[in-house]
Amino acid sequence: MTTTATHCPYCALQCAMSLRTPVVGAAVPAAPAPGGSALPPAPDVPLDVAGRAFPTNRGGLCQKGWTSASVLAAPDRLTTPLLRGADGELHPATWDEALDRVATRVRATQAAAGPGAVAVFGGGGLTNEKAYALGKFARTVLRTPFIDYNGRFCMSSAAAASNRAFGVDRGLPFPLEDLGGAQAVLLLGSNLSETMPPAVQHLAGVREAGGLVVVDPRRSATAALTADGQGLHLAPVPGTDLVVLLALLHVVLAEGLADAEYLAARTTGLDDVRRRVSTWWPERAEAVCGVPATSLRQAARLLAHASPARGGSGAYVLTGRGVEQSSQGTATVSAAINLALALGLPGRPGSGYGAVTGQGNGQGGREHGQKSDQLPGYRRIDDPAARAHVAAVWGVDPASLPGPGVPAVELLHRLGTPGGPRVLFVHGSNLLVSAPDADRVRERLESLDLLVVCDVVPSETARLADVVLPVTQWAEEEGTMTSLEGRVIRRRRAIDPPPGVRSELEVLADLATRLGSTVRFDVDPAAVFDELARASAGGVADYSGLSHARLDAEPDLFWPCPATPDGAPPHPGTPRLFADGFPTPDGRARMFAVDHLGPRDDVRADAPLYLVTGRVLQHYQSGAQTRRVPELAAAVPEPFVELHPLLADRLGVEDGDAVQVTSARGSVRAPARLTAAVRPDTVFMAFHWAGEGGVNRITNDATDPVSGMPEFKVCAVDVRRAEPAADRSGPPEPVEVRA
Amino acid sequence: MKDDRTRVVVVGYGMVGSRFVEDLLDRDPQGRVAVTVLGAEAYQPYNRVLLSELVAGAVDVATLALGSGDHPRAVVHPGTSAVAVDRAGRLVLASDGRWHPYDVLVLATGSSARILPLPGMDPMPAGVHPLRTLDDAREIVAATMNAHRAVVVGGGVLGLEVATGLRKRGLCVSLVHGAPHLMERQLDAEAAGVVADGLERLGIAVRTGTFTTHVEVDDGRVTGVGLGDEVLPAELVVVCAGTVAEVRLARESGLDVERGVVVGEDLATPADPRVFAIGDCAQPPEGGTGLIAQGWDQARRLAVLLAARIAAGGPDAVPAPDADADASPPPHAAGTDLVRLKAHGLDVVAMGVCGPGRRARGLRVVRLTDPDGGRHLEMVVADGRLVGATLVGAGPVGADLTAAYTRATPLPADPATLLMRPVAGLATPAPSPTLMPDRTTVCRCNGVTKKDVVTCWRGGADTVAEVARGTRATTGCGGCTDVVSGILAWLATTDPDRRRASVPPGAPADETAAGAAPVPEAVPAT
Repeated sequence: MTTTATHCPYCALQCAMSLRTPVVGAAVPAAPAPGGSALPPAPDVPLDVAGRAFPTNRGGLCQKGWTSASVLAAPDRLTTPLLRGADGELHPATWDEALDRVATRVRATQAAAGPGAVAVFGGGGLTNEKAYALGKFARTVLRTPFIDYNGRFCMSSAAAASNRAFGVDRGLPFPLEDLGGAQAVLLLGSNLSETMPPAVQHLAGVREAGGLVVVDPRRSATAALTADGQGLHLAPVPGTDLVVLLALLHVVLAEGLADAEYLAARTTGLDDVRRRVSTWWPERAEAVCGVPATSLRQAARLLAHASPARGGSGAYVLTGRGVEQSSQGTATVSAAINLALALGLPGRPGSGYGAVTGQGNGQGGREHGQKSDQLPGYRRIDDPAARAHVAAVWGVDPASLPGPGVPAVELLHRLGTPGGPRVLFVHGSNLLVSAPDADRVRERLESLDLLVVCDVVPSETARLADVVLPVTQWAEEEGTMTSLEGRVIRRRRAIDPPPGVRSELEVLADLATRLGSTVRFDVDPAAVFDELARASAGGVADYSGLSHARLDAEPDLFWPCPATPDGAPPHPGTPRLFADGFPTPDGRARMFAVDHLGPRDDVRADAPLYLVTGRVLQHYQSGAQTRRVPELAAAVPEPFVELHPLLADRLGVEDGDAVQVTSARGSVRAPARLTAAVRPDTVFMAFHWAGEGGVNRITNDATDPVSGMPEFKVCAVDVRRAEPAADRSGPPEPVEVRA
Repeated sequence: MKDDRTRVVVVGYGMVGSRFVEDLLDRDPQGRVAVTVLGAEAYQPYNRVLLSELVAGAVDVATLALGSGDHPRAVVHPGTSAVAVDRAGRLVLASDGRWHPYDVLVLATGSSARILPLPGMDPMPAGVHPLRTLDDAREIVAATMNAHRAVVVGGGVLGLEVATGLRKRGLCVSLVHGAPHLMERQLDAEAAGVVADGLERLGIAVRTGTFTTHVEVDDGRVTGVGLGDEVLPAELVVVCAGTVAEVRLARESGLDVERGVVVGEDLATPADPRVFAIGDCAQPPEGGTGLIAQGWDQARRLAVLLAARIAAGGPDAVPAPDADADASPPPHAAGTDLVRLKAHGLDVVAMGVCGPGRRARGLRVVRLTDPDGGRHLEMVVADGRLVGATLVGAGPVGADLTAAYTRATPLPADPATLLMRPVAGLATPAPSPTLMPDRTTVCRCNGVTKKDVVTCWRGGADTVAEVARGTRATTGCGGCTDVVSGILAWLATTDPDRRRASVPPGAPADETAAGAAPVPEAVPAT
């Protein structure tokens, strides 16, 4: 029996876990197994999972983590390449056949239409090594500017706002544990209790102090943590979180609660911000956001009194996708940062602003060159010095590197259109479930000459592909991930991958050769990491002082961690940023004046209700993994629509009835779940499913003008009781209702 | 080089004029307009709505600053008013003697405080102030230093805000109002009565149906307010008797003027399509409300309309059909006719159809009247939507109804349900192991139910740690540890026979057995 110390395959909390190869034939239970619970693991699951002590999860795991090994045993695990045949079906093929098909088509397409006719779509779940190799492959082998990734749907607004304020974007610029000492935490649009449950442990102190302020239109499991005097829950009308923040800052400034000394010494831009928030006095804000003026004042004072300048023990402002996945997501994060700066939090011990990263490697995924405008080390692709540095590491001419591409939603819109890409590589992303206005995405993917999908299981997107390449996952591979804290951690191999499966590093190296490239692509993750470290040297996200070997010895290393000269002690990493200044030209944080515009698709007579989306504890993102875990699928087997009982009463809907939710883009259908946790003017759906209840088929793909983030989180819908289902054998045709 | 930019002259740099300048420049990234602003006050624009908060001492004066600061494409002349307009020559004469040529003239001259023509008021004695400008507010605040008794004349929105603000500063305050009840534009007599009671509770003496007849003056300083035979002694008098649109310039330029400068849907004056009026000085077809939301909405609409025209070639150009779609009134009222009192200790909201006269319209009215509780809630309903509301003492219900009103979201089958909020805590009783149904999820992180815990205990698990091993309960966020512990304690007490014989001495089992505070009497529900 061997034990491997690694981390969970799912979210950015990256809970530490131990994987054990069970003794074959041994009876598993170490403790009595209860009836309803899912212990012990199914006999064909190759590994036992246990929580492991670590500063972030403190040994805790949620149900997803405990059951994560089941994905290794998914009955439909891909183990052989698939090629779409003349009959329109996918058929098993050899790796040579599959890679030759890809190389031939890429050559032909690029010969006819130029390098930009091939595009790449990456993922925030890929290891740093794979993300790096993918960006390098796109820029040096394909030489296409068109690469972006699903992190655009995740962290782009927070990244854009953090970069313009602080000159750097690291989700949490402090260790998660620091939250423990805070007197107040303002949490906007994040449902930690469902999305990363073990993180809730770090809120125990602030709840004890009565200082947890949750802003969410729903009484989410996280919002419910504020009950019984543990804090405040503000439930704004969907799409108006920005107004809440503007009003909070208004109160802080109006009542003289700001940290004037800090503002004077460490920030610029206050004057413009002050003029803008002057127009958001609490009573006006109440009329727009639906949060009582008294609650806005109470929350602002609670935060201010926790700030170090007023003698408090510390305060944090944290944002999540709920406020960031908006056409004004960047503005909203800027407003959150402005509030934090006004209270003097960033860079103060025990205080700060942070974005709670979503995907497993949402942080590292955005640092190493998957983003349309970036090179490794969080460098800008339009910066000549950055191009020269990275080109030297790659052994290519800087002039041969393409310029910036376009953000994800625009990239998807261009697919298969005249002049747009005709070939697409998809890695670690299930676009048909996770992209907004997903029926339109399906249409674009179907219009391609060649869709290549690397995946572990036949996801909805893989099933649409012309070539499916089976790749390794999680416990079958070595690598690194960068957690929500900017901590670089090791993912370790616990079992051998099934025969026939290859690592994406191997796939990319092989394709590079078949496409005639002389650029070197290592297949050993440790070697790829070393190259990544060199490429990042001197960049914002500097990993040059790190290696797999060092990370194996030291689990507490946060970037930036630059290399040190020979003989000098290694750099200790940077758990906390901004103590001595901000990495901006003048060392000050920049406050950026923003204002509220409201959702692009707002309620109107024929769509009088808001639709908001989110996650449930048992599923992760598009559900490609978790829907294949029996315990999780049994716990939450299908999509549902949360309605307030008052709304249900008006619509004549009872719990469990099928309801039809219709937006300007189409219609979805799912059973009703009645709960007072949602506002009567709003319905909620989780986005983990495809098919008739796949909510992203009707979400809005309008994007934020700065970050390119789509407006997943709010749109206008009509809701009615669905007619009893007709006799259907398969999923229905997508409904074509386009505005 | 000839400057072919469109010259926009804005007269008035208050809340609406400055917002218009910002909105227009935001929509003109190509720099096709040149903006000149004449502002009568010497200050940068400021937030007039918050002057009552300044009087109340609730906000810092720096909070009031508005506008985008210095803008490279706008030339602002503070302390300079417009004296005359030559519409034929498209010129504005400023008080400093300079002429400003324009292609588009925007009047945003606002309104001024109505001064009562009463004996003793000419000249206005020291200690009597309107509240319209920053200077007025500063003078009132200064006066509160030496004043003990204050009289507020006028029981409208501003009067109530000032009265409660002065009371907050500790003055003895009387409120005198000529109409039979307070806030008569927004409230009916019943609602106003509840408001008056609220003011009395704050220690403010309210006199309605009482006209101010004169002001008592001694040595140029006010000493009291006369109400017929009676005199209310006062060292400070604030006159909140409404406003008068500032229309002199428009009238003298030959434009149509009634209560304000008459404008059409497009905010242009009928007599001259190159002249527009927005904000308090304007009289649009739907009537001026004097509310800032209406003025800001007009500023936005005019900016959109002009930007579209200028982008299409000039101020008279006809833009593409949907280029100025944004310029039409918003699809929902967006709060432009919402009145929300900023009165310390008083909670009053009125919107849409409200006040006297609403019953004549045959609409459904749903009320909750609780005058002794300081509460009076009324919703006006048409076609399943909220078209108006009058809310006194509504608390958080006010915010809910405002959202329903501004967005015209559908009301519940019985609208009255919106008038009450569930009592906090009622919906989520503390989990009691006895009463908890078997299917209740104890551990959310791992989907463990009470039944799972009970089953695990029956199988021999005694401690939280053992239950954790068996069910994974408590192994996520750890938040359910107390509940699991409680269930074990309850089981240990009610079902001792099922206990395993051997409990290790001093083992954590103690925490389950010893901590069992109330001894549950019910049998396990399984």
